[in-house]
Amino acid sequence: MNANRDFIGTDRSTAYHRMARIASLTGTYFAAILVGLFAVGPILWMISTALKPNAEIFTRTPVLIPSTVVWDRFVIVLTGDFGRYLLNSIIVSFSTVALSVTAAAMAGWVLARYPIPLKRYLLILILGAQMFPFVVLLIPIFILVRQLGLIGTYGGLVLAYLSFTTPLVVWILRGFFLSIPIELEESAMVDGATRVQAFRKIILPMALPGIASASVFGFISAWNELLFALSFNRNNPSMHTLPVALQQFIGRETTDWGMIMAASLVFTIPVVVFFLLTHKHMTKGMVMGAVKG
Amino acid sequence: MSGIEITTPLHVRRRLRGRRLFEARILPALFLLPAGLFVFGLTVWPVFRAFQLSFTDANLAMFTTGEFNYVGLNQYVSVFTSTFFRSVILRTAVFGIACVALTMTVGISVSLLLNRDFKGRTVLAILVILPWAVPRVAAAIVWQWMFHDQFGLMNWLLYSAGFELFRGFAWFNQPVIAFTAIAIVIVWQSFPFIAVSMLAGLQSIPGEIHDAAMIDGAGAWQRIMNITLPMLKSLVLVLTVISTIWAFKIFDQVFVMTAGGPARQTELLAITTWREAFTQHNFGRASALAMVMFFILAGITAVYLRLIREEEA
Repeated sequence: MNANRDFIGTDRSTAYHRMARIASLTGTYFAAILVGLFAVGPILWMISTALKPNAEIFTRTPVLIPSTVVWDRFVIVLTGDFGRYLLNSIIVSFSTVALSVTAAAMAGWVLARYPIPLKRYLLILILGAQMFPFVVLLIPIFILVRQLGLIGTYGGLVLAYLSFTTPLVVWILRGFFLSIPIELEESAMVDGATRVQAFRKIILPMALPGIASASVFGFISAWNELLFALSFNRNNPSMHTLPVALQQFIGRETTDWGMIMAASLVFTIPVVVFFLLTHKHMTKGMVMGAVKG
Repeated sequence: MSGIEITTPLHVRRRLRGRRLFEARILPALFLLPAGLFVFGLTVWPVFRAFQLSFTDANLAMFTTGEFNYVGLNQYVSVFTSTFFRSVILRTAVFGIACVALTMTVGISVSLLLNRDFKGRTVLAILVILPWAVPRVAAAIVWQWMFHDQFGLMNWLLYSAGFELFRGFAWFNQPVIAFTAIAIVIVWQSFPFIAVSMLAGLQSIPGEIHDAAMIDGAGAWQRIMNITLPMLKSLVLVLTVISTIWAFKIFDQVFVMTAGGPARQTELLAITTWREAFTQHNFGRASALAMVMFFILAGITAVYLRLIREEEA
């Protein structure tokens, strides 16, 4: 009897702990599933809508998994007008990246290595520039681009995009150059290299991961940009980039949701792929780089 | 010096001195030039230019005749005396603060979840990042489709859960409800950044501190409120400031989802400024609106920079 009661007593407390643990674990998994659904649900829904036949799109009881996969929409997206918008987006984004990363690699290195007068304020300016609301820059830049006769050209849009990619990319690259020991440059110069040679042959190759992630960062911000592209080329469809085309499409007709989702997917996929490849650097660039200077 | 003068030939010495001068003075200036031109020409100068234009009546005529007149503070007066503009500014602030509060709550909760030990945690951490990667325009479009009155997933979920009201419910006909839908998109896109940053912060707290608090009898909620969050106070502050700046700049999502409608009741400051410039062609008034936004954000940015400096010290 006695022994039995003791047994029950200990069993009750371990049972209690086990129940508490199971309850907390169940809660954790329940929350995890909820968060996971909230995060990816819309993306899955975009993919599902883009792939299913119209009969399964326009139904009051949603069909999650398409009965047959419809690829036609992607053919139309890539060969029709959207092909043109895709090309515009690619040209503008790549030109922006090429120009801003080249300029920023040189500037970032100088800012990391040289004692520049007022450097402190220069860095604050670069950091602060990321915070500027685009609409403040939009009107003066629009007037400038229009007076230069560049409205309706790739150059006009690239010029506008340099306004927000350059400060960002300078900031990221400066951080990368700071992490490369200066001794490497010095020893190359002792061996007879000029400072430019040391930069080109020793430092640039070492900063390649940084340059890659800065490029991705610049690419994504140019690829996603709506405000400037809309303001510059609203009435000039041949110059639309993907965000403008999608915005205009949804503004004009909100009926062909399968096509809208297919086009959105083509627009989204490159960004998500690039993003996942470099997001670790990005988070660091935005928080740690910003916080720790 | 005199020793070198004798042993080193004059032209070598000149070349070395030239190279030293070049590398110390000319090279950095040359390398800073392109980026400097971009930053000054495309961010610093435009801000001054917008400031100048906000005191003028500039309109489309400035492209044809190149003329505009200075009108003093008239544009600012008309911004602050108009009930419409005043309500847009107030609306932007209220909506912005609501978005920040929601984003921070969701972001911090998700980071606490990701900081727990469970199977599938690394998978969830990747899934959570995805909404951040989706372009703003695409996010607005897919959520607009989810909020579709007839065929939308949200209405189906809600009325299947027993809320009859949501059968064929129109999300974009009333401003408050439209703002709810827009806020969900904003939170969806901005919570991942908060969650990932907070998770990095949480993982920098040594486990012993938690163990000690647990031995002292602190419950999970007490540990979070009294130990974890106070330890990450400066990170939470910086993230709050960053998301406030984002919230005040919101343009794309609203422009795609409602374009400011119905009857301009969901217009935020950025949209109103854009319309004033590009549909009314009133560049002077639009610049005044833009400067109002600039000063609000400059204030917030100043706080942000001060926080960063404190972090450094």
